Amino acid sequence: MVLTLLIFLPLLGGLPLLALNGRPVLARRLALAIAGAELGAMVLVTLRTPQLGVGTLPGGYFLMEDRSWIPTFGIRYLVGMDGISYLLAALTAFITPLAIFTSWRSIREKVGCHFALILLLEGAIMGIFLSLDLVLFYLFWEGMLIPMFLLIGVWGHGNRIRSALKFFLFTFSGSVLMLLGIIGLHLVHLAGGGKATFALPELIGTRFPPGVEGWLCAAFLLAFAVKAPLVPFHTWLPDAHTDAPTAGSVDLAGLLLKTGAYGFIRFAWPLFPHATARLTPLLYVVAVAGIIYGAWIAYAQTDMKRLVAYSSISHMGFIMLGIAAWTPLSLTGSLLQMVNHGITTGALFALVGMLGERAGTREISAFGGLWDRAPFLSGLFLLFAMASAGLPGLNNFVGEFLILTGSFRAAPLVTIFAFTGVVLTLLYTVRLAKLLLFVTPRGDLPLGEISRRELVILGTLAVVALYLGLHPTPFLQLLQGPVGLLTGGGS
Amino acid sequence: MKLCLSLMLLLPLCGGVVNAILGRKLPRRCVELLACGVIGGSFLSALSLLRSYRHPVTLELLPWITAFDFKAPITFYLDPLSLVLTTMITAVCGLIHLHSVGYMKDDPDYGRYFALLNLFVFAMLTLILAENLPLLYLGWEGVGFCSYALIGFWYRKGSNVDAGRKAFIVTRVGDTFLGIAMVWIFQLFGTLSITEINTMGFLLPVGVLTGIGLLLLAGASGKSAQLPLAVWLPDAMAGPTPVSALIHAATMVTAGVYLMMRMMPLVGASPLLHLAVACTGGITAFYAATCALAQRDLKRLLAYSTMSQMGYLMLAVGGGGITAATYHLVVHAFFKALLFLGAGCIITACHHQQDLFRLGGLRKGNPLLLWSFLAGAASLAALPLSGGFFSKDAILLELFRRGTPTGYLLYALALITAFLTSLYTFRMVYLLLGGEERQMETLPGTMLLPLVPLALLALFGEIINLPSFMGNGILTQFLAPLSPPPAGDSGTEELLLMGVAGAVSLVGLAVAHLRYGGARRELRIAQGERPSPLTRFFLHGWYLDDLYGVIAVRPYGVLARLLWVRVEKGGIDATLDGMAVLALKGGERLGSWTTGRISAYLLSFAGGAAVIVGWLAWC
Repeated sequence: MVLTLLIFLPLLGGLPLLALNGRPVLARRLALAIAGAELGAMVLVTLRTPQLGVGTLPGGYFLMEDRSWIPTFGIRYLVGMDGISYLLAALTAFITPLAIFTSWRSIREKVGCHFALILLLEGAIMGIFLSLDLVLFYLFWEGMLIPMFLLIGVWGHGNRIRSALKFFLFTFSGSVLMLLGIIGLHLVHLAGGGKATFALPELIGTRFPPGVEGWLCAAFLLAFAVKAPLVPFHTWLPDAHTDAPTAGSVDLAGLLLKTGAYGFIRFAWPLFPHATARLTPLLYVVAVAGIIYGAWIAYAQTDMKRLVAYSSISHMGFIMLGIAAWTPLSLTGSLLQMVNHGITTGALFALVGMLGERAGTREISAFGGLWDRAPFLSGLFLLFAMASAGLPGLNNFVGEFLILTGSFRAAPLVTIFAFTGVVLTLLYTVRLAKLLLFVTPRGDLPLGEISRRELVILGTLAVVALYLGLHPTPFLQLLQGPVGLLTGGGS
Repeated sequence: MKLCLSLMLLLPLCGGVVNAILGRKLPRRCVELLACGVIGGSFLSALSLLRSYRHPVTLELLPWITAFDFKAPITFYLDPLSLVLTTMITAVCGLIHLHSVGYMKDDPDYGRYFALLNLFVFAMLTLILAENLPLLYLGWEGVGFCSYALIGFWYRKGSNVDAGRKAFIVTRVGDTFLGIAMVWIFQLFGTLSITEINTMGFLLPVGVLTGIGLLLLAGASGKSAQLPLAVWLPDAMAGPTPVSALIHAATMVTAGVYLMMRMMPLVGASPLLHLAVACTGGITAFYAATCALAQRDLKRLLAYSTMSQMGYLMLAVGGGGITAATYHLVVHAFFKALLFLGAGCIITACHHQQDLFRLGGLRKGNPLLLWSFLAGAASLAALPLSGGFFSKDAILLELFRRGTPTGYLLYALALITAFLTSLYTFRMVYLLLGGEERQMETLPGTMLLPLVPLALLALFGEIINLPSFMGNGILTQFLAPLSPPPAGDSGTEELLLMGVAGAVSLVGLAVAHLRYGGARRELRIAQGERPSPLTRFFLHGWYLDDLYGVIAVRPYGVLARLLWVRVEKGGIDATLDGMAVLALKGGERLGSWTTGRISAYLLSFAGGAAVIVGWLAWC
């Protein structure tokens, strides 16, 4: 029952908020309470499961719920949790209250709707990370688009309608293909003598007629590649990030992008082992291209939110490299990096949002000398910037290093190219640090010191970033079982 | 043992963290006391370790990264090499902290300064004591970050920030090679524990060892400012002078040399690597010495001299002289810290003037400063019987003893460099002493006091390792497990070589006197105002910066903008937008069918039905 609770608590809890537009204070508090309850449920799962990393159920899951839903087509309500889902669900439950807290003051119109949508988004993403039936998964996958689309379109800045549309069209065209792939897979399974089902555990190991696997796989990959996003399907991301409200950006970077990478790991690779193996060289190219291209373009940015968005593309390239190499270490690294990226980039978007709120602009050239005005805020900015640049002792290093170590085993040359990303990341990071934090103020912007609410948000993230950087072992242990099963690398 | 080791590391960390978070709120005295106290405690722990040391100790504190077969725990390894270095680092850093109290007495940002200084010491100790490569990398990057923040400490001036940024980026380029070496080593051995991999080198073909060694060398070149990654060090002088002493004397620059020494048991089997390390060191030593000859800025001159001395250390490591390298590393830390702290005193006392052509007249005014600075200079120039003389001679001896043609060639190069070193050192001394007397500001005692022990150590540093004919050196015996002392060496050869080295150093002094002594100083300064092309070449470090500007820095920025505007916005985005527009147009075209006229619909319906019926009939 607890999995159903995790999915539907925010989905249903968000609904009454839609009617609370006129009472912003109540709406905010209620939203935070629901997100807090969700986090509480996650803690409950943690406490009640004796050994989180060890899956006692078939397939390595430790929690599973299975109910009949549309028996005609064999569609079931099948949700399950293993170490991977647990980690990502925990990330979702952790990031959402912080996202709500970041938009505490900045959202003044239609407050109830705003927070309702954030909660709906949380529910949908939970659903994605927990669903094991492909139709159910698809439902949540599409369901996630609507709140995000509205968040950008209604509460965004700048050219928000265009960005929202672009976001929707890109991700929607990807997922429509995936729907075709899901139906195709179902039919192939049926034709191969299997029973009518959309359940992932049963579909794994489906035998394909020659030539079919590649096409079905491509349909899935495209949907995930757009969402992840991989170069060259990434152009929706900078626009969406730049024009989204802060909470939207935090959710987008922290959670939404993870669903793409999660799709690769949970669905694409296990369902189509041969096709993905054949596509691996292409994915290597795309991953390394993403690392270098994203970092290089980030260097030229003048809008700080857009810069962080491009850095996101570069980081997702590392995650993709780890997935493509598909060794136990690299996959563990990628999964941990998904969490790390959520924390670090989420924090950077929150910071950029805070600065933007103060100054009314996000042009990097308008800032400067922040350390004089707000040393504590600047120190935290530097901390997260360094985490993003992969400084050991902070969270991103662990994931990045595991990815590179694991990938070197599978593809040494590709990994060496990926290593350039380590330098390129530093280039835009210290450039941004110089222009924002150091030198003297270029304009007379009202840049005050950190408020208590902001300190709670960033302080929490900083503690987690340090914890993940210094003691990641519990998290890595969590992944050992499921990753071992996926890669056949033993546990 | 465990307690002392943990204390030595944790004290600076705690000091750094407390000062970073509370530094603004605490009173100045409190911050200073905390910062100096923790380093003092660290030094005492090191001393107690030194007293009670019997055999190598491995201390596993906590797990860090554990996944499948990958293990990188927080484990420290104490052996003679790391023990000697930690003792030296805590001692010199303690004195630098003390000096900083006086140096920073008017700076309002003392909290940030001392926090970074403490964290720097912590990172450096971690680097030295790490038992596995990822942990070493943590210290390695930690010192990189602290130096970035400290060089750019006075962040209001853009050029300071740029200098910090440059140091960070250039060393990061080297770090990337170190990273590749690490993943390769893990691939080969399945472990990253330094003690384990160091015993497994014989398992690999020499070619692979050379490859790994070259990657490590590239990493070391970044941190130790060796060619071709040497360019960051002269600019790093933008930081406060005690920071220059910290980074360029005792600590960060020696990290690369330390890495090579640490990994020598693994990669030492490759003769090609030895040659590469020695050549890198030899060429850098010579390169930097020529640059130092032309410098006008006191701190830049000292920076180039550091680079040159690091070259000597690399040369020693490449020549197989681990003991000689350690010896010179320690003595260099003493005299270079002394010179930088002395320079800091001089610059402060002379109203922040650091142009050698504008300084001068320091003969009187502050005898303590004068004599300790001279002691440092004598040691740098390796004047006979100073500490630097013996330690540098140990390196020369090691090269000469190789007995190979390359050994002799490198010996000759080292000897030429020794002459240049003596020349530029005494050029600096003559420029500082000559000229008219000037009024000097009085300096706080905390700034001057640390000079005394450093001057004594610089002058009499040889007591830690007397040459073999004067009794066995303590350091040689202590390091014997790592690098056995050569057997059956003859004192006469050693004495002869000492004579040659001493003569070279004295010739340097004589040439400097002939060029800069007395009234000739003013003449040279007048000449120096209009430098010849060769002087300009040396002054700008052989135009290496300009070269990198043309081939790397500017193209990167230009290409970044080009990629963004042409490829990203003009290429990918425009193509996708074009597709959207095309879809829209197509939709409109299709939409024109929905005219609303029933007759058109009926016609289409009939047409469609006809096609279907026809197709069915056909099959």
